[in-house]
Formats: sequence, C-alpha cells, structure tokens
Amino acid sequence: MKMKRGFIGCLLSIFVILTMFGGCNVGSTDGGEADTVLGGGSSVLRIVSGSENSELEPILEEFSDREHVRIEMTYMGSLDIMRLLGEEDIPYDAVWPASSLWLTVGDTEHRIKHAESISISPVVFGIRKSLAEELGFVGREVSVNDLLEAIRNGKLRFCMTSATQSNSGASAYIGFLYALLGNPEVITSEDLQSDELRAQMQELLSGVDRSSGSSDWLKDMFLQGDYDAMVNYECLVIQANRELEERGEEPLYVVYPYDGLSLADSPLGYVDKGDDGQEELFLKLQEYLLSEDVQDEIQRTGRRSGYTGVSEKNKDVFRADWGLQPDRVLSPIKMPAADVLFECLNLYQTDFRKPSLTVYCLDYSGSMSGEGNEQLVQAMEQLLIQENARKNFLQASENEVNILIPFNGGVIDTYTATGNGSELEALYDKVENQEVGGGTDMYAAAVRGIELLGEYDLSQYTPAIILLTDGQSSGSLSDFEAAYAGLGTEVPVFSIMFGDADETQLEELARYTNARVFDGRENLTEAFRSVKGYN
Amino acid sequence: MKTKLIGLGILAAVIIAAAAYVFISNSQTVTEINGYVGGEKIGLLEDEEVQDILRDRYRLVIDYAKAGSIDMVTDDAEGRDFLFPSNQTALELYKQVHGDPVKSEIILNTPIVLYTRSAVAQALVDSGLAVVTNGVYTVDMEKLTETIEAGTTWEEIGLPQLYGSVSVGTTDPTKSNSGNMFAGLLANTLCGGVADESNLAEILPRLQNIFQKLGYMESSSSDLFDQFLKTGMGAKPLIAGYENQLLEFAVENPDTWEQIKGDIVMMYPTPTVWSSHVYIALDEAGTAGIDALLDEDIQRLAWEKHGFRTGVYDTPTDAAHFGVSGIAEELTQVAPMPDANTMDRIIKALS
Repeated sequence: MKMKRGFIGCLLSIFVILTMFGGCNVGSTDGGEADTVLGGGSSVLRIVSGSENSELEPILEEFSDREHVRIEMTYMGSLDIMRLLGEEDIPYDAVWPASSLWLTVGDTEHRIKHAESISISPVVFGIRKSLAEELGFVGREVSVNDLLEAIRNGKLRFCMTSATQSNSGASAYIGFLYALLGNPEVITSEDLQSDELRAQMQELLSGVDRSSGSSDWLKDMFLQGDYDAMVNYECLVIQANRELEERGEEPLYVVYPYDGLSLADSPLGYVDKGDDGQEELFLKLQEYLLSEDVQDEIQRTGRRSGYTGVSEKNKDVFRADWGLQPDRVLSPIKMPAADVLFECLNLYQTDFRKPSLTVYCLDYSGSMSGEGNEQLVQAMEQLLIQENARKNFLQASENEVNILIPFNGGVIDTYTATGNGSELEALYDKVENQEVGGGTDMYAAAVRGIELLGEYDLSQYTPAIILLTDGQSSGSLSDFEAAYAGLGTEVPVFSIMFGDADETQLEELARYTNARVFDGRENLTEAFRSVKGYN
Repeated sequence: MKTKLIGLGILAAVIIAAAAYVFISNSQTVTEINGYVGGEKIGLLEDEEVQDILRDRYRLVIDYAKAGSIDMVTDDAEGRDFLFPSNQTALELYKQVHGDPVKSEIILNTPIVLYTRSAVAQALVDSGLAVVTNGVYTVDMEKLTETIEAGTTWEEIGLPQLYGSVSVGTTDPTKSNSGNMFAGLLANTLCGGVADESNLAEILPRLQNIFQKLGYMESSSSDLFDQFLKTGMGAKPLIAGYENQLLEFAVENPDTWEQIKGDIVMMYPTPTVWSSHVYIALDEAGTAGIDALLDEDIQRLAWEKHGFRTGVYDTPTDAAHFGVSGIAEELTQVAPMPDANTMDRIIKALS
C-alpha cells in the first residue's frame, strides 16, 4: 500500500504536468487518495466502491492493463456512498455500492446513469462448521428465529458490520427486525415503537462480538481473530473459507436464513458530469465486466453472476460441504420503504446496538499546534456534537461511554462522559480548550486507556481505543503489551495517522490488537468518521 | 490549354470550398438538446442508427438524464429542453404545475405487462389466475387483485420455494411511470371500471394497503427489469413492466435471450393500459426533438429494435424477428387510465 502511494504521488505529478499542457483525458481532479491504484495510463477512472469489490481487483487490473486505463479504487461502506451521492460534488466517475437500494435512495439529483448489476451475492451467516452441526443447522432449512434462539442461549456469538455504515450489516439487521416482529408482510413505523422489540433487539445485538465499518475488512478481521461466526456476503465467506482451508483450519458453514435473506446486486453506475470521454471509458469497463468471460471469472470468486445462475463448471466454487447452495432459489425479504428504513437505522444507532465504549487518545504535543490542532477540533466536533453526528448515522446511544485522554509526552488528563447528552457535548469543550505542547508518547495514553477500560464489564459494550497521533512516539509497544495482556479480552486499538506519524508504530499496534490504521492526512474528519463506524 | 487549367483550378477550388462548407456546416449546426427521460427509452436514444438519423437528417443530438415520469414533471426542470415521460397523465400533471408546454406529442406506445418465470406462470395458470390462449398468457386482474388483497402466500399457490405472499413488484408509483400506471390499473380493477372521484374514497385505503406491503420500490422501470432478470425467480417472482422492455432485451442480447427464453414469461393483464410516451418540449430548441423522433425510420427502428408500438406499428404483423413467444398481436382488452386529477389523488395517497 505504501509503495503504491508513492507511485500514485509520482504518477499524479506526471499527470498534473501532462494536463497542464493539454491533450490528456482527465476524469475528476478532486484531491483525496484512492485506496488502490490499478495500472497506469493517461486516462483515469475513479471508482468509489463497497469494500467487497476489492476481491475483484485482479479482474479490474486485466482491463486496466489492456486498455491502458488507470483505475483508482476508493472503498467505502454502501451507506457512506449513499450519503456521498447527496453531496454537491461527487469526486468520482463511477459508484459501485453493494446494493442498488442505496443508489436509488441516494441519487436524488439523478446524476447516476447506466447503473447495471455486476454480480449477486446473498447476505448469509457463516458459522464454524462444527458449531453449525452442533446447533443442528446443517442439512435443513434455518429461520432467523433458530439463529436468534442460539444467540439467546449464548451458544452463538457473531461478528457483523455496522448496520448504519455497511450494506451487509444493514441487510442482516433488517432480517432480524422481521423475525422479531413475527414476520409481518413489511415493517412499518408503528411496528418499531414496541418496547418488546427494543428489549429483544438489544439482547440479540449483545451477541455481536465485533463490529466493522465494511464487509471486506470484517472478513479480514475474522480471519485474524478467534470468532465463531460472521454475517457477511456469501462470496466473502467463500473467500474466507479458501484461506481457512489453506491454513488447515476449520471452514465456515453457510446458513441461508429463509425468512431473513437479502441480496446484494452490486450495481456499477456512472456519475454523469457531461464528459463524453469519461462516459465512453466507463461503458467500456462496464461492458468488459458484463462480458461472458469476465462474468465467468467473477463467478469463480464466489459471486453469482449472469442471467442463468451458477454455471455447471463453476459449481465446484460453491462447495456443498461448506453449506453452499448454488441452485437455491434466493427469495429475499422486502426492504421497508425509505422513510421506515431510515427510522430502522436511526434506532439501531441510538437504541438497539450494543453501546460503544470508546477511548479517544488525542495527541496534544507541540507539533500539533496550529493547523493540526484546528483540524483535530473540527473532526471531533463532527463526532461529539450530536447534531453533526446524526447526519452520518454516528450519533451516540443512551448508554454509551466516551473517554477522552489528551496526551503529549505523558497523559495530560482523563475525562469520561456517559450517554448522549450534555456530558458528551461537554467533552468537546475539553477537546477545544486543551493547550498544545510537549513531546509524544502514545503508548502511555493507550496504557491509561486500557486501565480505564478495565473498570468496565466489557461484555456489555463494544469497546475500542481510537488513537490520533502526528509524530514518532517515545515509549514502546512492550509497555502496552503488558497492560493489554492484563485486560484478558480483545480491544481493538484503531489509529489515525496524521502529520509525520510513524506508520510502522501504528501498524504494529493495529496488528497486535486486530484493528486497523486510518489515514487522516488527507481528510481528518473523514478518517474519524470511518473509524467511528467500526464501533 | 491555359484557360483549361484555370478552369480546372476553379473547379477544384469550388469542390474544396463546397466540401469545406458541408464539413463546417455539418459540424457547426448540430444542436444538442438535453432533457429528462424515463429509463425504458434509453435503449432507443442510445441506438447508434437512431443517433445517426437524428444527426444527419435533423442535426440533432439528444442528451438526457434518467428520471422517473412523475418526478420529472413535478421537479424543477431548469436548464432542460424537454421531458420525455411515459404517460399522458404526466403531461396533464405538468400542465397543472407549470402551465401549457411549448409543444407536446405522443411518440411511442407500449402496453403494461407482467413478467414472470415459467414456474410462477404455471402456478398462476393452475390456480386459475391466468390463462394461455394460442401461446399468449393473460392474467385476470380481478382474480389477481383478490389474491393479493387476501394475503395468499406463494406457497399456497404451489410455490413453497418462494418466501412471502403473492404480490406484483412495481416501481414506486409516486416516482415512476410503470408503477404509477399499474396503480391506475389496480384502482380500475378495485372499482370494477375506471376509477374516478365518485369511487376513489372506497378504493384508496385498499390501494394503500396493497402498495404498503411492497415496502421499498425501485424508482426506475429499467432497474426493476434488470433486477428481475438478474436476481432470479426468488427475488422478483412477478413484476409489472412494459412490453417493449423484453422485446428490446431480446434484440439487444440475442445470445443471453437464447439461454433464458425458456424461463421468462410475458403476461398481459386483462384489461391492460397503454403507456403512451409523450414528448414535452420545454423550449424552442426542444421542439426539434418531436419532428425528429417521429421520423418514419426512427419509428420503424423503435418497433423493430426496441419493441415500441408506434403509430404505424400499433398492431404489428411482423413480431417474429424478436424471437419472443407469446406477443399479443392485437390488444383488445385495454382500459383508459383514470384521469389526471384522480391519478394525482392516488399518487398523494401512496406518498
């Protein structure tokens, strides 16, 4: 990734020079870095996509090499893509969310053209095979209530993406709602008001081991950790199983809940800004992806593609011993109407999900002074001031806990806020008024964070430490390891890289705690938003 | 000799000048007009043969953004030269909101049909909701509506592999035309005639009930049809759409059609309604589109390649080239849509 970034920088500067002298086909020229850049060439297609499509990069690269088109992929949760569609400027040529639902709901300005489904994948439960057998889920039809029963009995714990950030999480959550409401024809606003539903959904979501802002990362996290089950796309469960098998570990068994199934139809659409050259380029890519050979290749990655379902020769990808049913008639639930859907999502965020317990370790060392500190304050304003947070479905819930640890060469102070009211917003005053100065020791802050987390019953929360730093840190990982081991449970330490932060130090921490590093150098507010989507 | 050479020189100069003139006038006088178009007509407007005729004969390029028929007449159309919705109600609504347009004309027609898979079609026939006559499927709207209102499950009509109860997937009737017209058709069916002010009060709650059960609906007919084909029988067992959608698909994707034609069934509701695609010019530049689209060759291409029944091709005799079985030659059971005020009240009730 780092190499690629350097390469992009290099390419970009060549690109800028070329365009300055004209004669070059330029797409969107807005700033911001892509997550992956495929191929080179003078024409560029910038695609914002659900992370599940990162599995298709080799296929995209073939196109990019053949046509000399540089493809820049930026990965985002489908709900973030939906929100992006409402912005005035969409700095991409194409959008590729997991489901057309988000495209239709988001594209209020009618700027998306040529949207076509590239592949289909249902959202399923992947459960450790021996556990699935033990629970009696093998070789029979399973309802959402069967799954809920196992969760209630404490026999099944699972990971899922956040319902307010990612399509797979949202789909599964809507499936849960149907089941808890006794499978009505469609969910209505009145249905959602019931106290019984609240209690049951809270109980159900308390079975969530880990959350994540995106589906592909959920799969990666699953593979690194020690979990029993995950809710994810069928294709990503297949990918995960390939890796598990390679390692000689037990694969996941796929369960299709018959009364709570939903499909991701993966539509690729063009963002029309009136540039014919870009449109032609887009159509060429779309035609390539929909061509018979490439559809076949896409099917080999575990996606259902084409009009005729899984072909005979690709049936081996959908292995029966992993519970896969390539010939199954996929009969999904109905998604509620948009207004009810948003009500569902808001309730998830504020009432239903397991409350988060977040420790913000924020760097106030001397090097943050000036613009760095200003950006930090602005970013925190988006999270802590609830009116702002609500716009991105990041509002706090009634029972959540937020802890603030400003640090420099040591811990400056600690502040704790419970709930989503005045205490939380008062944290923002602390963020704003804290003076800047001194050295940097992020480990000291993280250790204090761990100590504070130790005072809570962590099974009742989704805990995380979010660490922002802009420089080389003194102290060492071993200080942190000692404290972390004492906690006895996995708490991810996400970090946001800023200024001259040392990526190796941050990556080390992330690997150790099964978390990830976000890049805040381009857009700090965006980085905070993304990381918050993970708990 | 010398005069001959001079003469040749003049001739050459004239030829070059003429060629240059033609070239320059060709490239200079092509006008680009821009408007909102219902998704089901995009295939026609993207057709290169159509685009060539528009450019060569009419010096016209038609650029568009996709929008639902109802959305486009109620939303702000600032900067657009035309609207091309898919029914006349949209024109009436336009007039109510914005007054008379510069010009308007019906360009294409196609009936509302239902699409399904062979297993579902068979179940509908077995349960007496549909009949096959000379290979043409027709669906009894009254019986179908009763079945939907009763909440009969798919399982009860012999399809245990499908989850939930019998329903017709449509686009959002408040945003898009095919859903809107299907709502009009259902309203007619519920009142046993043509819905109007006198019977609306009784049928609106029933109509709301039917549509509420559908939950989230697509806002474009082309997206719904694409999903019908790609997501398979489980996701979209039965949808409402336009006849032309399948005919166009079969022409444009002959190989794919060959593979799936055994499983896809088109059914005509009895009665059905016509979707009349009316072109609304918003300014002088936009009016050019009307003459151009009524060009005889474009009208022919509209039928042959895109399946629209046009003025000349309303009762076509040459449907064999589509390779689609069960195309009704003549549509005898067609009901008028409820009038614009009634449709407006229906849309509001379903919002």
